[in-house]
Amino acid sequence: MNRQILAPELDGPDVGRGGAQASPGPVAARVRRPFRVDPWSLIWIGATLILVFLVVAPMLRLLISSFQSTETGAFTLENYVTAYASQRRLIGFGNSLLYGAAVVLVSIGLAVPLAWAVARTDMPGKGVVRATVLGAFITPSYLGAIGWILLAGPNAGWINRAWMALTGSSTGVFDVYSFAGLVLVTALYAFPYIFVFTADALDRVSSEMEEAAHILGMSPLRTIFKVTLPLVLPAILGGSIIVFLDTVALFGTPAVIALPARINIMTLQLWQFFEFPVRAEAAAAYAVPLVLITVAMLGLQRLILGRKGYVSLTGKSGGRQPMPLGRLKWAVLGLCLLVCSLAVFLPYAALAQAAFSRAWGQGFSFANLTLGNFGYLFNEASSRQIILNTFTYSAATACVAVVLALIVAYVVSRRLVLFGGVLATLCMAPLVVPGIVLAIGFYAVYSSPPLALYGTAAILVLGFTTRFLPIAFANCMAGLRALNPEMEEAVRILGGSRLLAVRRVVVPLLKKSLVGTWLLVFIPASRELSTAIFLVAAKTRVIAVMILDLSENGSFELLAALGFFLLGVTILIVLIGYRLVGRDFLLRKS
Amino acid sequence: MKKADWASPLIGAIGMAILAGPCAAAQTAHEQELYEAAKKEGSVTWYSGILDQQICDHIGQVFSAKYPGIQVGAIKTTSQVAFQRLLQDVKAGQVQSDVFTTTDIGHMVFLKSKGELVQYVPEAEAGLVKALQGVDPDGYFHTGWVGLAAIVYNTNKVKAADAPKDWSDLTDAKWKNQITFGSPNYSGMVGVWTVAMEQRYGWDYFVKLNDLGPQIGRSIDDAVTVLNSGERIVGMSSVATALRSAAKGNPLAVAYPASGTLAVISPSAVIKGTSHPNAAKLFMEFQAGPEYSKILVENFEQSLRADVPPSPGGKSLADMKLFAPTAEQIEKELTPNKTKWRDTFGM
Repeated sequence: MNRQILAPELDGPDVGRGGAQASPGPVAARVRRPFRVDPWSLIWIGATLILVFLVVAPMLRLLISSFQSTETGAFTLENYVTAYASQRRLIGFGNSLLYGAAVVLVSIGLAVPLAWAVARTDMPGKGVVRATVLGAFITPSYLGAIGWILLAGPNAGWINRAWMALTGSSTGVFDVYSFAGLVLVTALYAFPYIFVFTADALDRVSSEMEEAAHILGMSPLRTIFKVTLPLVLPAILGGSIIVFLDTVALFGTPAVIALPARINIMTLQLWQFFEFPVRAEAAAAYAVPLVLITVAMLGLQRLILGRKGYVSLTGKSGGRQPMPLGRLKWAVLGLCLLVCSLAVFLPYAALAQAAFSRAWGQGFSFANLTLGNFGYLFNEASSRQIILNTFTYSAATACVAVVLALIVAYVVSRRLVLFGGVLATLCMAPLVVPGIVLAIGFYAVYSSPPLALYGTAAILVLGFTTRFLPIAFANCMAGLRALNPEMEEAVRILGGSRLLAVRRVVVPLLKKSLVGTWLLVFIPASRELSTAIFLVAAKTRVIAVMILDLSENGSFELLAALGFFLLGVTILIVLIGYRLVGRDFLLRKS
Repeated sequence: MKKADWASPLIGAIGMAILAGPCAAAQTAHEQELYEAAKKEGSVTWYSGILDQQICDHIGQVFSAKYPGIQVGAIKTTSQVAFQRLLQDVKAGQVQSDVFTTTDIGHMVFLKSKGELVQYVPEAEAGLVKALQGVDPDGYFHTGWVGLAAIVYNTNKVKAADAPKDWSDLTDAKWKNQITFGSPNYSGMVGVWTVAMEQRYGWDYFVKLNDLGPQIGRSIDDAVTVLNSGERIVGMSSVATALRSAAKGNPLAVAYPASGTLAVISPSAVIKGTSHPNAAKLFMEFQAGPEYSKILVENFEQSLRADVPPSPGGKSLADMKLFAPTAEQIEKELTPNKTKWRDTFGM
């Protein structure tokens, strides 16, 4: 890549060197006197132990039960036969992989241009775009999918009816009940992962290399593709892996779209194992190979990233100049708003019909308008409690996950331990195992003695932390890859501890990225159903469980109102969050 | 539903005033005996796969008002989750739930065969509608709730005169691309529907339905959402969900099939090894009693007793023809039906 040839000449030797490869971590560890107890060691050893407890215990149970007979508990391979020895199951498995890959591709197409526009250009309205994208993210998949059915249902969808009225055609233009529909709707609510990863990474890249490319006569477009984007490849890949794993394990959207479209998806089959006659062990067996897929994904990532360097933040970091787009900025803003429309404005316009109606099936009329659905959410003590629970637990989860992930990612990326690869796999595995399967493991481990946490808020926070640790971990890894260890080394050379280096150098440099990570855990935690439904008690209920009740009741009006409320709160949290971290330091020149 | 939720503290207070007085006096000797023993236990935990959390909580409050000193911990999840939790609890030797109610009768058949249930016939069961009595001839589990499945249609698009009158009318070619229903692979109630329809019309019924390009959802309640959206106009759905939605003003109506509305019985049972056996039995009595059915009716659910009238717009079980496959039939037919379903509909 050109960047590698360019970079050393212009930025000094530090830039071209691979961050992880050049890490002097093990050397530093070797020189250290053996018996001095470094507080940092205690911290990372502690974090590793917590990780083992959080992840290994439930996963191990999952693995063991996959080899146990439902009837007797004796060792058997029959679960694997039940799970895989059918053409339909294998097709479902294959379809899921295809589905995951397609969603990743569409998500990259949506996320990367938006991230670039928000992070590197002088496009107006960046805050709104960022907040709307993250707002889309909180939309419960059930609601987002129904919003799209209202828009693109083949018989009554708004878009299709408008198309038929305009063209006189007897069929609509886009049928949501199709593979394309499934992929689009899923991608619209998954692309924020890649968006946040990429935007954070782009925020860290200084303009120097782009300027250099410009001086050497490269066109702006070529610069983007040859210099800017390759530098943030680890972030795009990290986000893509999360999207892939998340999609493969997703149940909500496929249940609403793939099932009527008769597209055979693995998770749809997995849930059937929980209908009578229940074969939870076969479900575990069906899920086990997914962990191998995680391993394969991480291997693929290593292969693609190879031995190249992705350090963009160095000790003598330059400033960052937003790229002036001139009049083009309105076109770019238009593109961003188009994506926001697909993900938020259009489906929510369709959902508004329900949220502001007494009876949504009646359609729009002034007599049918009401704010009562919102009133219900705030006036009813139990729903207030549920909303409060959800945000408290999700915030606690996000804090625990970010701290834990940062520590473990630091240990892995700076090669402080020998078994870093294993640690990384452990951190990534929980996401791909479908929630309902993992939840049984959580329930078994956390609710029985000695922990006996059932009924407490702690059990939910623990479960959510385990489930969403992969997101935090992947983002922290991407952040640390971009950070040249030389700055931490400087602290060490000057006599500071590693803890000091992390606290005073790593955290401040990555603060914006950490806020992004926090949000990427907070949002999915607040909409997580499958783990929650196993772990909630009467007093610790969360919004996702309430949504299930409402959907089973047919109370779609309340459900839609709740969706609007979540969207509004998330947008607010995002705007405040980024305001609090302030402008990032790279922008001081501008 | 909404009104009932708003009013629930009020209803609770009124209930406390009314029930604590006369009903306490009307206690039978058996009930009194159970109550005295249950008072020492102090609480009962109910794993519920039926209703929603708020209604379950409300049931608990009314129970505690009738039997002061006994708290109800109601935990509502899906039947599948409640069953999984129960199995995990039993495996760990920590029975948490004293009473378990599930929409899937297969759960009870399984638990009974494993010896995990307590044999107990509530005295109050004699007051239930005949069709709901004696679900298990051996008396291990009993009707805790009944879900009705009928034909539901969108009144904006289908006139009452044109609506299907019976299950067989759904296979009429005029409903091509207009029908919706759930899947037996995700919904126990839809599963029982397949058993009932196959008994009556043979599996060919579903082959004919498939030729009409039905939209297949997951849960039995999905039909209500699809019908309201106008995407499809007739379907098979749970009566309670449709009535609740219609009561808000949504354009839905229920057509009770002439040859029989499908009744799907959700059983309740006392779990063996509980530390609150008397409170659990008392709760079983309560579920068969009138106060419980009154709460169901307030929420557009079906009354289990002839002496508790149906909700406005609803119909009494006594006034309709019912069709209810037995636990044995369901047990025998359901699993092969799921396979046949996959072969017919491809999912």
